This record gives sequence, structure tokens and C-alpha cells, in this order.
Amino acid sequence: MSELILIIEDQEDNRRILRDLLTNAGYKVIEAVTAEAGVMSAETHHPDLILMDIQLPDFDGYEATRRIKANPALRSTPIIAVTSYALSGDEAKAYEAGCDAYVSKPFRPRELLVKVREYV
Amino acid sequence: MQKASSSKTSPKVSSISHRFSYALIGVITLLLIVFAAIVILFDINKIENELEMRLDNAIEFAQNSLATPLWNLDYVVVADFVEALFLDESFVYTKISWKGQVITEKKRAGFQVQKIASEMSPTLLKDSELIAKSSDIYFEEKKISKILIVMSREIVKKQLHSQIYGTISLLILIIAAIWLTSIFITKRYISSPLLKLQESASSIARGDLDTFVDKSSRDEIGKLAQQLDIMRGSIKQLFAELRESKEKLEEYSRTLEQRVELRTLELARSVEELKVLGEVSQAVSSTLNPETVLTSIVRHAVELSKTDAGTIYEYDEGEGVFLPRINYGIRPEYIEALHELKIRVGDQTIMGQAAMNRAPDQIPDIEKAPGYYFDFVRQAGYQALLALPLLRQDRLIGGLVVRRKAAGEFPASVVKLLQTFAAQSVIAIYNAWLFREIEEKGRELEVANKHKSEFLANMSHELRTPLNAILGYTELILDNIYGDVPVKIQKVLKRLEKSGRHLLSLINNVLDLSKIEAGQLPLSLNDYSMQEVVHTVVNSVESLAEEKNLDLKFSVSPDLTVGKGDEQRIAQVFLNLVGNAIKFTEEGEVKVEVTSSNNKFFVAVSDTGLGLSAADQQRIFEEFQQTDSSSTRKKGGTGLGLSISKKIVEMHGGRIWVGSTLGKGSTFRFTLPVRVEKQRKQG
Repeated sequence: MSELILIIEDQEDNRRILRDLLTNAGYKVIEAVTAEAGVMSAETHHPDLILMDIQLPDFDGYEATRRIKANPALRSTPIIAVTSYALSGDEAKAYEAGCDAYVSKPFRPRELLVKVREYV
Repeated sequence: MQKASSSKTSPKVSSISHRFSYALIGVITLLLIVFAAIVILFDINKIENELEMRLDNAIEFAQNSLATPLWNLDYVVVADFVEALFLDESFVYTKISWKGQVITEKKRAGFQVQKIASEMSPTLLKDSELIAKSSDIYFEEKKISKILIVMSREIVKKQLHSQIYGTISLLILIIAAIWLTSIFITKRYISSPLLKLQESASSIARGDLDTFVDKSSRDEIGKLAQQLDIMRGSIKQLFAELRESKEKLEEYSRTLEQRVELRTLELARSVEELKVLGEVSQAVSSTLNPETVLTSIVRHAVELSKTDAGTIYEYDEGEGVFLPRINYGIRPEYIEALHELKIRVGDQTIMGQAAMNRAPDQIPDIEKAPGYYFDFVRQAGYQALLALPLLRQDRLIGGLVVRRKAAGEFPASVVKLLQTFAAQSVIAIYNAWLFREIEEKGRELEVANKHKSEFLANMSHELRTPLNAILGYTELILDNIYGDVPVKIQKVLKRLEKSGRHLLSLINNVLDLSKIEAGQLPLSLNDYSMQEVVHTVVNSVESLAEEKNLDLKFSVSPDLTVGKGDEQRIAQVFLNLVGNAIKFTEEGEVKVEVTSSNNKFFVAVSDTGLGLSAADQQRIFEEFQQTDSSSTRKKGGTGLGLSISKKIVEMHGGRIWVGSTLGKGSTFRFTLPVRVEKQRKQG
């Protein structure tokens, strides 16, 4: 039985890299392109882990994280924030929103995989 | 002394009248005595002659009248004749004789006949007491008798004496009369006028120049008096002139004093004005707040011009009205009225007039100014107004108005003074405009800079997104996710990955720098362990040093306390310095040392590399500066690392510098305060 990982990412290349990386590592992957779709997908599929991009077209990843964590059924689902804002304070903002971990872009696929394996 | 001098009075004046009368009397007495002597001598002579004549007459009478009786011997007649003769007391003896026979003889008692010779020739005998004469008496030419008559001088003498006494008495009387008269005359006509003259003179001498000088007499004294009066007049005139010139002198000295006083006052005022102007101009040049400057200007302008209120207007070119910008000494309602008035160039207000004429204008008294109908000015009690246009190179930028409750012309000095204040106001207002402009420009610049920073941030983000994809795919391919990759292709892919990572670090550095410059890189100040930072850094670069066979050494004092700062950024500085050291060193060692003292960490990163020239040491911390561009290409540096490191260190309040010997190696050193509580602003 393989764990289900939800990737919420608007960039096709990033999505593809994550999908290829995680699928190759033996995870099942579902994807969402917008924050709205991501939240819905999370509620529908109850993934084991969520990789959350912060910069999304409709609303940002922090908001999406808050909405997902607001759902009691999803409260314990680990969410790893993936952000391109390599700024001090982003990490804090991510944790504040309810993220469990933080990976800044550009991420090295191998390092991301290490992080994912910490949770699932 | 006083007594002695006062007692030494002038010698007693001997009266001119006395001296004059003495002289006069002397002369007259002498003359009279001579005259009297002459008269007396003449009298004596006359009496003598008379006596002789009487004797002769008696003889002759006897000759004539006695011839006949004697002839007839009628002696009674002869005796009668003698008796008759003796009625005259001077006849003392008579004898008629003939041939020695006395016919008749008569002698007066006391007369001694012996004195006369008995036989006397018909001659004359004279002595001091007697005079005697004898003569013959003829009858028909026959000598018939002889007669002798003797006369005594006694009576004559007595007569003479009494005559002399009379003369002398008369003389004395005359002298006395003359003496008295002369005294009276001299007193009346000389002495007294002279005395008066003297009194007048001494009165004049005492200073009473209006003394009356009696010059009624027509004589020399009168002339003297006239002269004295003329002299008095002259002296009086002289005195008057003297007094006048003295008064003039006093007046002049007074005026001089006044002028000196006035000048002193003016000077004091000038000094005060200069002081105030100095203060104002200092305020103008040092204070960025125009309100402060203009308030100071209008306050000083009002105080120094001794007026009651003042306003500095700013001219709104767009609306064409003067706006009361700064007011001093006036009530809010008045300011409101000034606003409502909407003063325009050339209108009836004094400001409008001054602005139109481009010169100071004044109304010394609004009650006397025709067509001045602003009741609120009158109600506020202002009588005199002075307005000055504020011009900058012929451009109207405002106005200065002072108001006074007392009517009266503003003197030129006040106008001049206020012109100076006006000039200062112009500078202040102009400065204010410039400040406003600069502020606006600054804001615009800030916005532009923010836009630039945002652009750079977005740009780097946009650049990184595809780069992330490239690097991601490359890594996945290299990990054989898409199937086994031949070794040949793997080598190419590794080169691809390396170039990509270089590009990424370049982009990251640009992003960092632009954020620092935009002030958008806040430090997150937290506790950190210096040991841990050094370990992390060493761990991440160890492999690089190994690849180049370099000795990587680190020495950290064991007693370092917990620091406070942005751990990530500090690590970034370490990484940059150590990375550079490894990059530019071909053989030898790279050493990291950390110590602390005086609440500071001292970090030294030394290598045995190429080293830096003195010029390079100077500019190596500037953006895009490396020793030369070829080495950049060769070593793959961005040229931004040291610049970013410098900024990070400085944001922590530290300092970074380098020491190097060309060909022997370099040592980069930086300090950090152990506890950084506040981020330093980056210029």
C-alpha cells in the first residue's frame, strides 16, 4: 500500500518533477493546479501528505493551508510548504499558517524526498 | 587769605574836583595877589602923588591968597588960612615967616618941629613919615614971606592900610567864592558825572550791561559817557554774540550728544537687527521647516519695526491670490478676513498695490487714505500698514505686511530693514518650495526604487522558476528516474547542472542585494551558537576542500557565549568567505578562526591563495568587483558575494576588511556584536 500525496502546484514543470520524483519513489500522487481545487481535492481524497506551493493563482498557500487545517478530518494531515520566497520570515509565516515543514525553492529533488520520507 | 585780599582795597581816590579846585585856587590866588600888589603899589603911588599935589595946592593957594593980606599985614586972615588948612588932618605944621621972623606958626600936637630944618630952601623934603615943602610968597614981584607946610603921612598911611586890608579881604572873599564855585562846578559838571560814569562803568564791569549811562552832558564827559555807552553797547553785543555762540555751541554739543546718542541707539539697533538677521538667516539655512523660519521672520520683523502685527503671504500663482501663510500678533478672525479677502495683484489692498508696483508700499494713516474701505482693518485698530512684495528673480512668490496701531509714516530705515526680512522670507519660501520638491522627488524616487526592487524580485523569481525546472529535471535524469543514463551523457548533465546552479546563485545574489538596497531584507534576530554556525559551514564546504586537496582548519574559542543575530545570514557570510578562500586557493590551507572580546566576535578566514593587490583590497567589497574578470569566469564567482557579506555584517553593526600579500594569501576578517538587538539601517 502506497501513500497518497497531494501536490498543489500551478507550475507544470514543478508538478511534473514532483510527480516523477514521488511516483518513482513509490508514492501515489494526485495534483491540483489552484488553491481552491487543492482544498477540494484534499477534502475529497484525504491524502497522507500535501505539498503546498505558496504562490498560487487564486489565493495563496497559507490561506489554503488554513482552510485545510480548519477541517477536523484533515487536521493531522502533514503539509509541507514549498516556496520560492527565500525570505526570512516566510518559514515563520508557513508554520503560523499551520504548515508542518518548509522547503524553499529551488529545492533539490533528493533533499525534498528526504523531507517527505520524514512524514510518510 | 580772603580777608587779606579783601582788605587790600584800592588806594583812596582823591577827588578830581578837589585837586582841580586846589590848582585853580592856587593859580587864581597867585594872580590876585599879584594884582592886589600892583593895585596897592599903584595906590601908594597915587596917594603919594595926591599928598604932594595937595601940598602943592596948599602952597599955591597960600601964595595966591596970602600975598595981599601979608602985604597988608592982615595976619588974621593969615591965621584963618592956617586954621582952614588944618582942617585937613594931614597938615601937621605950617609956618609963615619973613626974614627969620615968624609971622604965623601952627603945629599939631605931637609934632616935633626939630624934625624940620628951620631954614629950608623952597625944596621938597620927603621921608617915611613926613612930606614938607617951602615956598616964597610974592606980592607984586616982591618977596614978602616964606611959607613952610608939613604934612604927615600918618593919615595917608592909615588910609592906605585900610585900603590894603579891604583889598586883601576882598581878595580872600573872591578866592573863597571861586573856591566854592569851582568845587560846586567841578562837582556838578565833572565829579558827579564822572562818579556816575564810574558807577556805570563798575556796574558794567560787574556785568550789568543794561546799566543806564547818562550821556546828557555835551562836554567831554558826555563824550566819555557816549564812548562808555558805545563800549557798553559793544560789550553787550559782544556778550550777546558770545552768549549766542555759546548757546550755539551748547546747542551743537547738545545736538552732537543727541546725534551720538541717536547713532549709538542706531548702532545698538543695527547690532540687534544684525543679530536677529543672523539668527533668521541661520534659521533659514539650518531649519528645514519653513513654518519655523517664517514664524521667526515675521515675529522679528514686527518686533524690530515696532509694529503690532505681521503676515507673510504666499502667492498662489494658479489662483492668483495671496494666502496668509504665517501671522503674528493678529486674531484668528482677522486671518479669516484676510483669507476671505482673496488679495490679488493690483487690488485696493496695500499688498495688492505693493505687488503691482513690485516695490514696498505703505499707508501711514488709513483714515486719510482715499478709497481705503476695509472695515475689518479699522476695527482691529490698525492705522498704518506697510507691505513688501516677495520677489525671486522678478517672480512674485509672496508678500510681507506689517501693521501698526499708531498712525504715521514708516521711516526708510524700517522699510529697508523689512526689505531684508522680505529677502530672507523669499529664501525661506523658496527653500520650502525646494524642500517640497525634493520631498516629492524623494518620494517618487522611493517609489521608483521600490518598483525597481519589486521588478528585480519578480524578475529573479520568474528567472528561477524555469531554472528550477531545468535543475530539477537534470537531477531526476541523473538519478535515473527516466531510465539508465549513459556515462557520457551523465558527464554532460553534470556540467549542465553546475552551470544552472551558478546561474541560480547569481540570481539569488542579485535578489539579495536588491532587497538589501531596497531595505527589504529584515534580519530575523534570534539566539544562535557560533560553534554551530561554524560547524554547519565547515560541513557544507568540506567536500569542496577535499576535492582540491586543501587543508581546511577551524578553531573556535570554547568559551563563546550565545550570540544574537540572523543565523542564516551570518552563515551566508561564512559560506561566502570560506567558499571564496577554497575557490581561489590551489594549494595549502584555508583556516577559520573565531574569538571574542569586548562583546564582539572576531572572525578571520585566511588562505594561502593568490592574494590581492592593494587596489583590489580597496574595491573588493564593491558590487561586481573581483580581482579581474577572467578569474571570475574561471572560478565561477558572481562578484556579489563580498558585497552582500559586507552589507550583512554592517546590518549587524559589525565591520569587514581584508589584509593580503599578493601571491601569499589573504585574510578576510569581520567583527559582529555578540548581541545584536537592533538592525542597522543600510544606506
